[in-house]
Amino acid sequence: MSSRDVVIVEGVRTPFAKAGTALKDVHPGDLGKTAVTELINRTNLDVDLVDELIFGNTGSPPDAVNIARVVALGAGLPLKVSASTVHRNCASALESISVGFEKIKSGTMETIIAGGTESMSQSPLLWNKEHLKRLEALGRARTPMAKIKGLMSLLSANIKQVKELATTSPMKSTPFKPRIALVEGLTDPFKGINMGQTAEILAKEFGLSREEQDQFAVKSHAKAVEAMESGRLAEEITPVFTGKNYDKIVSEDIGPRKGQSMEALAKLKPIFDRKNGTVTAGNACPITDGAASILMMSSEKAQALGYKPIAKVRGYGFAGLEPERMGLGPVYATPLALKRSGVEMKDIGLIELNEAFSAQVMACQKAAASKKFAEEKLGLSTPLGEIRDEILNVNGGAVALGHPVGTTGTRIVLTLMKEMQRRDVELGLATLCIGGGQGGAIVLERLN
Amino acid sequence: MEVVSENKNEVGKVSSNAGADMRESVVLKLDGEIGWLELDLKGEKVNKFSTPVMLRIKEVLEEIKSNASIKVLVVVSKKKSIYIAGADINEIKAITTEEEFLKAVEAGQGIMNEFEDLKIPVVAAIHGACVGGGCEFVMSCDYRIASDDKSTRIGLPETSLGIIPGFGGCVRLPRIVGIQQALPMILKGSMGGIIDMRKAKKIGLVDEVFPAEIFEEKVKTYVQKILKNGAKKRKKTHKPKGVMNKMIEGPLKGVAFKKATEGVMKQTHGHYPAVLEAIKVIKDTYGVKNRDKAMKREAKGFIKVAVTDVSKNLINLFFMTEDVKKASGVVGKEVSPRKINHLSVLGAGTMGGGIAQLAADKGIMVRMKDLTNEALAIGFKAASAIWSKKLKRRRLTKFEYKQKMDRLSGGLDYAGFGITDLVIEAIVEDMNIKKAVIAETAKNCKDDAIIATNTSSLRVNEMAEAHPRPENFVGMHFFNPVHRMPLVEVIRGEKTSDEVTATIYELSKRMGKIPVVVKDAPGFLVNRLLLPWLAEAMFLLDDGMDVVKVDRMYTHKFGMPMGPYRLMDEVGLDVCVKVLKIFRASFGERIQTSPILEKLNNPKRMGKKSNLGFYKYGGKKRQEFDQSVLSELGLGSRTNPLSEEECIKRGIYAMINEAARALLEDKIVDTPEEVDLAMIMGTGFPPFRGGLLRYADSVGIKNIVSDLEVYESKYGLRFKPAESLVKLAQEGGSFY
Repeated sequence: MSSRDVVIVEGVRTPFAKAGTALKDVHPGDLGKTAVTELINRTNLDVDLVDELIFGNTGSPPDAVNIARVVALGAGLPLKVSASTVHRNCASALESISVGFEKIKSGTMETIIAGGTESMSQSPLLWNKEHLKRLEALGRARTPMAKIKGLMSLLSANIKQVKELATTSPMKSTPFKPRIALVEGLTDPFKGINMGQTAEILAKEFGLSREEQDQFAVKSHAKAVEAMESGRLAEEITPVFTGKNYDKIVSEDIGPRKGQSMEALAKLKPIFDRKNGTVTAGNACPITDGAASILMMSSEKAQALGYKPIAKVRGYGFAGLEPERMGLGPVYATPLALKRSGVEMKDIGLIELNEAFSAQVMACQKAAASKKFAEEKLGLSTPLGEIRDEILNVNGGAVALGHPVGTTGTRIVLTLMKEMQRRDVELGLATLCIGGGQGGAIVLERLN
Repeated sequence: MEVVSENKNEVGKVSSNAGADMRESVVLKLDGEIGWLELDLKGEKVNKFSTPVMLRIKEVLEEIKSNASIKVLVVVSKKKSIYIAGADINEIKAITTEEEFLKAVEAGQGIMNEFEDLKIPVVAAIHGACVGGGCEFVMSCDYRIASDDKSTRIGLPETSLGIIPGFGGCVRLPRIVGIQQALPMILKGSMGGIIDMRKAKKIGLVDEVFPAEIFEEKVKTYVQKILKNGAKKRKKTHKPKGVMNKMIEGPLKGVAFKKATEGVMKQTHGHYPAVLEAIKVIKDTYGVKNRDKAMKREAKGFIKVAVTDVSKNLINLFFMTEDVKKASGVVGKEVSPRKINHLSVLGAGTMGGGIAQLAADKGIMVRMKDLTNEALAIGFKAASAIWSKKLKRRRLTKFEYKQKMDRLSGGLDYAGFGITDLVIEAIVEDMNIKKAVIAETAKNCKDDAIIATNTSSLRVNEMAEAHPRPENFVGMHFFNPVHRMPLVEVIRGEKTSDEVTATIYELSKRMGKIPVVVKDAPGFLVNRLLLPWLAEAMFLLDDGMDVVKVDRMYTHKFGMPMGPYRLMDEVGLDVCVKVLKIFRASFGERIQTSPILEKLNNPKRMGKKSNLGFYKYGGKKRQEFDQSVLSELGLGSRTNPLSEEECIKRGIYAMINEAARALLEDKIVDTPEEVDLAMIMGTGFPPFRGGLLRYADSVGIKNIVSDLEVYESKYGLRFKPAESLVKLAQEGGSFY
């Protein structure tokens, strides 16, 4: 099989809205559909040419378990176009791009729509075991007496549930309280600690103070607000029409705060380690709803169709590390991506490093510059290379914009390539940490 | 649907008097104890009960009677999606005398009775449309089983043609399903009275429904079961359940008939005698044991309405719409329309949203473009409102609703225009803006994309100047509200190509509309004819007439769906004033406007859209006349000095006068049929009158001209009869 260049023609996303706000009632399938429909229109794409749609998603909505197919049909792709959903936690929508890259590079396919969608607002509650047992018992009850007994036992379970909800922390699992899928999803199944706790670990190991982290967050908001006001973010966004009459129009990200201040952040309490912690809701990314998609093609195909692609995918890499230090994932994945792309860190002119937590990004910056870390952890003789503030997340990051888990991988690629175009930067890096202890990275080369 | 296997013997070839075509159209095959009667009318798309078919059936019935080995008869159609489409409407159209009608009805009733009276049971195995005479036929059978195919629908559309079911349908349907179900089916006719198999099974009109894919097998099993059970005859009679139903179908049935009559009167003001006659026939025959007596009553009722002009007019209208189905929009040439897969709409207002809805409903991907997201939202809302209604009435599932909504998208730029096959422009009515937008749009589209304007008052040819490829420019004029008004005027500009005309014509049909191709001239056809009426209504106000009274004259007496003032409210008073002024400028003295037009400039009084016009809207009650309009227009108290006759004549004759000019002098369309079809579909001109020009012919052109001359001397030049109309009167001619 031939090996050829893979290019990204265009990309578009929905606004990102903090969970529970403007997009809370929009099904993730519809979020994805909105992004893909707009992508098709913006690229004037002949949909008959699409070979496959690959979408990242982590929540697996019960009514759309292969959500990629739902997105594809909703966006009007022909029935013959196949669709698959991919899952690599926080990097699901980078996974979709890497899968697309391989399929095109190998010559198997020519045209792929990649992306991701997530509605963290619509993450379900699940029956807990004890509760479920009693429900089942009631279902099995045959005699009137047994039915009454079953019903009473279920009622008492409901009372216990209310009590447990009122008296225990949301993160704590108790016998009768409903299981919160979102909380469990953000908990490492191997180590049993929450993502926020992994950030606490890094904050302590790398000596990152609360103040430093809050400063990072303030900067992220300021950059995002500036990018929003200058219209840069608007270029990658298509509005979502929601509400019964389609008159609620969501056209901007709901997350960046104008005038976010140290004082306001200082008031927040650490949530993952109440006593000694430094990670707060203010210096971590909010849970968020949103979708993004990009059009990928072989460069020959793009040329034949008269497209002027924005970027070429040079290479990508995924790597694993200790689950409790998952935040350092980018430092492990980036060397792979760079090597496969045949470039070095110093060649990179622009970086999107997903801001799951301020502490985690800052830890990555420190680790990347450290010779000791390179030698001990990465098996490299020289440091990975400095991740300079001036080229990092220049339009703000997830701390401000939010992190719809299954979508972000595509969002950072989209934001990166648009900014590479604006800044006339030749090479760019998009990378993120992945719950469960992985990192993912991709290197782009600007074309037009 | 292949129901008959190879080993069946064809019989009846030797003894037949029918021609070879008929022998092949109605075939009896024997398969042991089962007789299969196969219908496949040669040379026609549908099976129908024409005279030759009925003669041939009679012949076959004799064979069946004489063949004692046949224990059960199964009647099937070999057509793909038609079972039996009914009687031959062409024959009905040709009949004029009561005697001929009586003969035809008796022949039909006779055949149905013969099936009912056969010694063996008859099974109607229904796959495909089963309407009119077809429905009456299956009701004379012992058993009715049907496929669940989408095309399988059953009902009695006769009243929509101004007649009533005459082959026993008025008698048998109430017997089988009860009057509560039968009345609405018969009264609604083709406007909602044709039902699908889910409903047919529910109300007991069919006994079983089987999946279309295995229908053939299921029919065989069903027939075997009948044989096994002794091949018994059966006459299904509705048995009402529950006290309430028993009362309504029994002692209280008089109330049901009264209610039905009231409902019909309220809707039609008695202009459609067939509907009323149908109720009377059902009332007189429901529960009557003596079949002959009941059939005689039905025949009498049929003849009574069949000879009326109303029926002739409605049948003509039926054929006019059938002609549209066959036509391409281009006369005298074979032109194949282009396929439209992707449509863009400029301007996502109520109109744009409505157009988008129509297209998306039929599977077309639609892109709306407007200046703001808020404007786009109006388009989404307009479309969703229409589907939401259907969703509520369970005409759509929530999945279908979503699929349709998914086909709509919107944007503020020209994204998507590169893949669009057709752009329909529905922006502000301003020539300069339109020209600029058309030029810009053309730049953003494929070279062969069509741009259509939905203008109602501006000239298509002038707009075409802005398009670099004017052959791809055309007018496509929808009427408001888009989803309800069936007409589309396809305005063929001087340079519009045949292919583009045919494409828009075809697309209109696909959207469920009736297209009429018109030439480009001020107001095109419908608005040009309508405006003299509205202008005249203003003069009637000057003369002291009352708004509500005049509106009522036109609705109740003449049969218009709404009177002139209500219509102006609907269209928007500002629009009316603007367009009337344009007309006055275009046509000179024959369009005059009352001085009160100038006073109709209150920005709060813009008609329905501002909740205030001649009437008040938006309240809980139906609209109510707004007294303050009189003082605002400087009008005194209403004296109502004019007769109803004059009020109607002045308005309608003004339209006829203008129609003569449009058709005979300016040749906006080629035929009077097109004028009538456009007026009925575009303005709701009473269908029972057959259209504006058929109405003119029925009054007599001479009479109209002489009345116009009287009005001219009384009221001035606006009533001057058109030259062509005077000529027509002198020749003693008519429009048709």
